[in-house]
Amino acid sequence: MPQLNPNPWFSIMLLTWFTFSLLIQPKLLSFTLTNNPANKITTTKPTPWTWPWT
Amino acid sequence: MNLSFFDQFSSPCLLGIPLILPSLLLPALLLPSPGNRWINNRLSTIQLWFTHLITKQLMTPLNKAGHKWALLLTSLILMLLSINLLGLLPYTFTPTTQLSMNMALALPLWLATLLTGLRNQPSASLGHLLPEGTPTPLIPALIMIETTSLLIRPLALGVRLTANLTAGHLLIQLISTATIALLPMMPSISALTALILFLLTILEVAVAMIQAYVFVLLLSLYLQENI
Repeated sequence: MPQLNPNPWFSIMLLTWFTFSLLIQPKLLSFTLTNNPANKITTTKPTPWTWPWT
Repeated sequence: MNLSFFDQFSSPCLLGIPLILPSLLLPALLLPSPGNRWINNRLSTIQLWFTHLITKQLMTPLNKAGHKWALLLTSLILMLLSINLLGLLPYTFTPTTQLSMNMALALPLWLATLLTGLRNQPSASLGHLLPEGTPTPLIPALIMIETTSLLIRPLALGVRLTANLTAGHLLIQLISTATIALLPMMPSISALTALILFLLTILEVAVAMIQAYVFVLLLSLYLQENI
């Protein structure tokens, strides 16, 4: 099974990590997020009141 | 005959140039760098939304110190996702079916999470080797089991991605071979097989996305234990 053959493993590793860290990561860094990637903080409390007819 | 089904996984060469080179480099072209304006074209907007979603999903369970890994994990999931999905196109080569590439990604990243834990909070990360409330006679055996499961993690991480993609590509090839072979003899059965092939292709698209997500999710879980 050729996919298990680790033959040029070092060049594959170098190539993978160069692609990953020199191409993909700088490309991803150039994106400017319009909001912070966090969940929205909902701190609005409901203000209960008594209905005048009860 | 039996082995020829596995020929699709052998790393192809053209004129002495290994074609794993373009198949690793080309997915980066799917991420065009947006300009310096706030709002760009539609593709960049969709990718921005997607990366935002991924980052949020991955970073919500982590604490503040783990947020430094956001760029690493998000770009890893994007790379694996694009390579997996591009590999599903006919007559293409998928680098993520190669065990050497997956181990080259899994082992250093797992080691990074482990060393982060051992460097910053050694007692807490060593404490994961023994679950709380273990009966005293079980402690030596349990520590050995937990150590094995800790050390086997990078292997499992790499083999999982390899095995899933290999199995998917093999199934697609087997069923499409059956479709072509059955066409002159039994056209109706062949049509049925083609339908199965279509459904399987949908499943494989899903598997390509899920496996990229699972790889990064497990890495973030290992990170969560160690940070």
